[in-house]
Amino acid sequence: MRDWQAIVEERLSNLELEPEEKAEIVAEIAAHLEDAYDAMCRQGVPENEAVERALSQVGTWRELQSRILATKRRECFMRNRIRQLWFPGLLTLFISTALLIVLQRGGFRPVVIGGGADTVLFYWQWLLFLPLLGAFGAYISLRAGGSKASVLLVSAFPAAALATAFLLMLPIGLAAELVMHRHSEFGDVGAGLLRDGLGWIVIPAMALLAGGLLVQSMAGREASRQEVEG
Amino acid sequence: MIAPGIKRGTAELAILSVLESGPGHGYELARSIEKRTEGSLRFTLAALYPLLYRMEQRGWIRGNWETSRNGRRRRCYRLTPGGKKKLQPLREEWNELFAALRRLGKVTHA
Repeated sequence: MRDWQAIVEERLSNLELEPEEKAEIVAEIAAHLEDAYDAMCRQGVPENEAVERALSQVGTWRELQSRILATKRRECFMRNRIRQLWFPGLLTLFISTALLIVLQRGGFRPVVIGGGADTVLFYWQWLLFLPLLGAFGAYISLRAGGSKASVLLVSAFPAAALATAFLLMLPIGLAAELVMHRHSEFGDVGAGLLRDGLGWIVIPAMALLAGGLLVQSMAGREASRQEVEG
Repeated sequence: MIAPGIKRGTAELAILSVLESGPGHGYELARSIEKRTEGSLRFTLAALYPLLYRMEQRGWIRGNWETSRNGRRRRCYRLTPGGKKKLQPLREEWNELFAALRRLGKVTHA
C-alpha cells in the first residue's frame, strides 16, 4: 500500500503556508493521486506503472507548488488587508463620526476662532477623545498583525478619509462652478481649503496619531522586553 | 490537441459545467471533464487545484471535507449560487467567441 500522503508531503515540502492549510492541501492532492492509482490498478495496469502514471498527472511539482502559493498568498493578503486595515479603519471612522454627531446634537458648542469667512470651528470635546480613538484603532490593527504603516494609517483613518473626500470634492466643486459660470478667486478657494483642512483634517489627524504612536511605541517596548527575556 | 493556453481559459467553464450536474471531488472533476470532452480537455493537478482554490476564493464553488462509504476523506466541491450565476454569462462569452472565430476563420463544430 503506497503512502501517498508521505509522497506528496515530501514533494510539497517548500509549500510555505500555515501548517493546517498545508496539511489540507497535501491530503487533497494525495487523495487525488490515490484515486487515480486505484482506478488504474482496477484496469489491470501493473503497480509500478500505475504509480508512475498517477504521478505524471501532477504536471510538475514545482509548478503545482508555486501556483498554489500564488493563489493562497493572494487570499492571505486580502484577508489581512481587511483584518489589519479596513475593519479597524472603518470602525474608527464610524466611532469618530458618531461621536461628533452626538456632540453636535447634544448641544455642545464648538470653540470659534477667527471671524467671518475665516472662522475655524473646534469641537474640543471631540478632539480630546481622538487620541483615545486613534489608540483603539491602532490596537485592533496591531492585534491582527498589522505593520507599522497599517497601524498608523488605521489610527489616522478618520482624518485620512476626510482628506480624501476633500480632494475629491475640490475638482468637482470647481467644475460645477465653471458649469454654472460662477467665478471663484483662487485665493478664496485656497484660504477655504486651508481653514477647513486645519480644523477638520490636520489637527484631528495629529490627535489621532498621538494615540496611534503611543500604542505603537508601547508595543515596540513590549516586544523588545520579551526579546530580552527570551 | 488543444494548446495549454486555450485550455487554461476554458477551465473555469469546464469546472462550473461539471459541478452544475452535481458535486464532486478533485479526481472526479478531472475524470468527468476528460470523459465529457472525449479526452480533449485534460488538466494536470498543477492546473486544476490552484484553479479550484481561486474559484473558491471568488465564491463560485465551495469545498467541504466528506467521508465516503469506504472511509476515505475527500474534499467535495459544490457549485454556489454565485457560481450558478457566473455560469450563464461565461457560456455566452465562449459562444460569442466561437461564433466570431467561425465567421473569421471558418472554424466549424465549435
